[in-house]
Amino acid sequence: MKRGKKVGSTLPKRDVNVIFSRRAALMSFVGVGAIGAVITRMAHLQATNLFSQEYSNAADENRFDTRIVAPPRGVIYDRFGVVLAQTSKDYQVSIVRDDVEDIEAAIARVGQILGLSPVWARRAKVRVEGGPRGEPMPICEGLTWEEFNAVNVRLPELRGVIAGSADVRAYPYDIVYAHPIGYVAKPTQRDIDTAIQTEGEGASRAMYLRNPHVRVGKGGLESKLEDTLHGQAGWRKVIVNARGVEMGEDPNERRDPVRGSGVVLTLDHELQRTAMQNFAQQSGAAIVMDIVNGDLLAMASAPGFDPNHFVNGIGREEFAALNTDEMKPLFHKAVTGLYAPGSTFKMMVGIAAKQAGVSDDWSVSCPGYFPYGGRNFHCWRREGHGRVNLHDAIKHSCDVYFYQAALQAGPDRIAAVSRKFGLGEHFDVGVPNILDGWVPDPVSWRERRNEGWTGGLTLNYGIGQGALQVSPLQLAVMAARLGNNGRAVVPRLVREAPGVSEPTPPPIIDGIEPEFLARVRDGMFGVCNEPGGTATRAGALELVRDPQTGASVQRTSENSGWQPVQIAGKTGTAQVRALTDATRGRHFSTIEWRYRDNALFCCFGPWHEPRYACAVIVEHGGAGSAVPGPIAREIMGAALLRDPSRRAPASLAALEPPARSQA
Amino acid sequence: MSIGAAPGPRTIAERVSRLNWGIITLLCALAIVGVLMHFSVANSGARLDMPMTHGLRFALLLVIAVTAAMFLDTRFWLAISYPLYAGALLLLLAVEFVGETRMGATRWLSIGPVSLQPSEFMKVGIVLALAKYYMQIGPRRAGAVLWSLPPFLAIIAPVALVMHQPDLGTAMLIMFAGLATMFLAGLSWWIVGSGMVLGAIGAWFAYNYVLHPYQRDRVDVFLGLSSDPLGAGYHVLQSKIAIGSAGLFGRGYLQGSQAQLDFLPEKHTDFIFTMIVEEFGLIGGAVVLLLFGALMALAMQVALRARTMFSKLAAASVAAMLASYVLINTAMVIGLVPVVGIPLPMVSFGGTAMMTLMVGFCIVLSIDLHKDAHGSRGWLW
Repeated sequence: MKRGKKVGSTLPKRDVNVIFSRRAALMSFVGVGAIGAVITRMAHLQATNLFSQEYSNAADENRFDTRIVAPPRGVIYDRFGVVLAQTSKDYQVSIVRDDVEDIEAAIARVGQILGLSPVWARRAKVRVEGGPRGEPMPICEGLTWEEFNAVNVRLPELRGVIAGSADVRAYPYDIVYAHPIGYVAKPTQRDIDTAIQTEGEGASRAMYLRNPHVRVGKGGLESKLEDTLHGQAGWRKVIVNARGVEMGEDPNERRDPVRGSGVVLTLDHELQRTAMQNFAQQSGAAIVMDIVNGDLLAMASAPGFDPNHFVNGIGREEFAALNTDEMKPLFHKAVTGLYAPGSTFKMMVGIAAKQAGVSDDWSVSCPGYFPYGGRNFHCWRREGHGRVNLHDAIKHSCDVYFYQAALQAGPDRIAAVSRKFGLGEHFDVGVPNILDGWVPDPVSWRERRNEGWTGGLTLNYGIGQGALQVSPLQLAVMAARLGNNGRAVVPRLVREAPGVSEPTPPPIIDGIEPEFLARVRDGMFGVCNEPGGTATRAGALELVRDPQTGASVQRTSENSGWQPVQIAGKTGTAQVRALTDATRGRHFSTIEWRYRDNALFCCFGPWHEPRYACAVIVEHGGAGSAVPGPIAREIMGAALLRDPSRRAPASLAALEPPARSQA
Repeated sequence: MSIGAAPGPRTIAERVSRLNWGIITLLCALAIVGVLMHFSVANSGARLDMPMTHGLRFALLLVIAVTAAMFLDTRFWLAISYPLYAGALLLLLAVEFVGETRMGATRWLSIGPVSLQPSEFMKVGIVLALAKYYMQIGPRRAGAVLWSLPPFLAIIAPVALVMHQPDLGTAMLIMFAGLATMFLAGLSWWIVGSGMVLGAIGAWFAYNYVLHPYQRDRVDVFLGLSSDPLGAGYHVLQSKIAIGSAGLFGRGYLQGSQAQLDFLPEKHTDFIFTMIVEEFGLIGGAVVLLLFGALMALAMQVALRARTMFSKLAAASVAAMLASYVLINTAMVIGLVPVVGIPLPMVSFGGTAMMTLMVGFCIVLSIDLHKDAHGSRGWLW
């Protein structure tokens, strides 16, 4: 203080005050200037916005988001309007990833409320983390109303969790239509990649596919009719917050989705169900076809699977089980399964032999084998059939006769006749993965196998074995074309859908003499109805024809005098692999399942006025007469009783009035 | 030292009536703006108790500050100035070694159940200590280079410690408050001028040779030399969108889409000014700035009317500190200066800045109330 006094005394107090006041004023001016600068800057920002709108646009871009609304998928009906695939409301719990504080905790809480397993929780977490940031990602679908409510009342404590309903594809008859109709599933990464690489609309398509509610057809008609069924996506303009969570909606800016068009199939639900039921635990395929217009009334592949499990993503274990099952439930056997036709092929050989000049009374003696080229070709009946002509040969399915008939006809003629009856032909019934099989002839044999045709091959050809492979669908077409007296009827599965037109009446197959056809048809009648026929059990339909209406009715004691309703058919048993000495003669049940013979049966009926054809294949089923025959009898019996072709079918216009599809 | 009857306030009523009600009113007005804005923040989904917390916290702090101002006069502030500075510096050193790390910065010191931010004590400590120092050395030496060295060191020591926490915003505030005190005390214009030149050269040198590339990128974004809308530039970009689209009168209370829909980050703390402008427009923003301006003016008026150099420097430095808070914050939200975490005093949510400035205004009110009291008059050197 003392020193201070010394120095301080030289300077007047006033000067210090002046310095302070001046500097305080200066600082105040700087402060005022700075405040002015801040206000000016704000005004400048707003003036810029006045002309360019850049900040207003940016704010709008921030808060508005366009959300895609997946359209309800078109309904699939059977020919009488029974709903086979529909879009129904599904209660779901979803999580908005960016709105939830702790994904794992939220999932655990939902799991606790609904009593779900930790395995589910792990899967749900993967789904949420792979989903969009601001849009709800379903973690649990198919809730009951009670479960839905249990979550709903706890929503206030579950931030980022949403309980809502969504359109979901449902297949009410689950396994019955798994193959022809297929299923929808979430788009795969490959679908999205493919879309991205598509020119033009690809990028927006890819964005659409990423939407968690979007499903695309993944099998059967669902996949091939995707464009028809899918409908038009709508959109909503929503107000979102910074995390993308929806906070509101602009009701003036929305486009409602347009429901996909409905599709009416040719299938008859009753027949399809009967077909599936009759397979029980066996593996195979059955087809019922209208031989006049080609309508497929049943198209069953067994065993089936539940397509509903695919809609929201199938579990890995479940899929692996389906995929590795030796009965191949995922396989659409009706069109994708290829089998040697075995004895069902003998009608083709018979016609070809007739064309080659074999007369009606040409007969062979069957001692149970036929020596050719230094080895014996066996008849299925070891003791032989004695002397047989064409009719008896078909009726008894005598192999020796057809070895020789095939030699008479030659492979080229057999192949030509088979192709006219639809074997080896591509029938696009609208499902994916249709295989055409192979009807070999010497030329194509050399092309594929790079070796010459031999007489032994011709012999095998004669009994429908060897390289010859046909699909159940082709077999049904063959039976149909035999049944309708040689008209080139073509099968169809979709009756009514946009872009599907009525079929034209099938033309007569040229180059097939009606008389030859009549001979083999008689043989087929014998198979089912004459003593000694190989399929008299299948032929015993117990149906009679009402003389007034012409309809088939169950035989009773009162109407036993009426004309019986009969079918004509042919059994077949095809070796899966060459017989060895070890397996020859052994009963089929002692052989490993996958090495047992395939059993086939094809037929048409009613005999007095044929309308339906049927083909049944039971994989590794043993003999054609024992297993597929009875199945065919049940299916054909049902078809004849029901007579679906003569009932009025449903029309899309009646099922889906245009006014409703707009709503 | 003058001796004799001081005509200071004696009765409680006298003290209450002679309080600077202008300052108190302005503080309340700003706090009410804060409560309004926090209600708006809460409306968009955050905590509903925020506006209440804000209001109660302010009321409590104001009552304490006013009461303290009524009973403590300048002698108290003089007495605690050096110990406060020394204590704060020691605590800052302690933070350096035993501090608590939250969100990547070591700022807190836990003593039992109490968490302290020593850097906040330092804001008040530096002002009081420098004011006392200049009062002690007298006006003649205030302009001398050599006598300016201790204050410089007194500023640099805490600034360096706080920078290392790291807390750039607080370091800047301590520095500005300290430099303002030195400047007001009569720092030589030569030093002011050469300091500015040296600072500019140093900044250029640091930008080119010291900063890491990523730090340089940040500076580039701040300077508008490059854009980074999702990284360092996101906050300011969203803030500019909100202010630019607000218009003269704003989008209306509770209607600001940028703030209500969470596009504006930190809207209840550092970016609350943006929310004010978005909802109340350019006019609303200007009114708030004018309230702050008036508050600074009143504090400056107290400084000009005070009778001792200590009082003058202390009051004026509090005004300068308030200005630093407000100007750095508002300039930041409109992109005029780089993003530094500095809240808008009395308006932003959070007690730290509010408490610090309330202590500051407690000093200002006390100085104003007791300017004629015993020991406050005359020049003490």
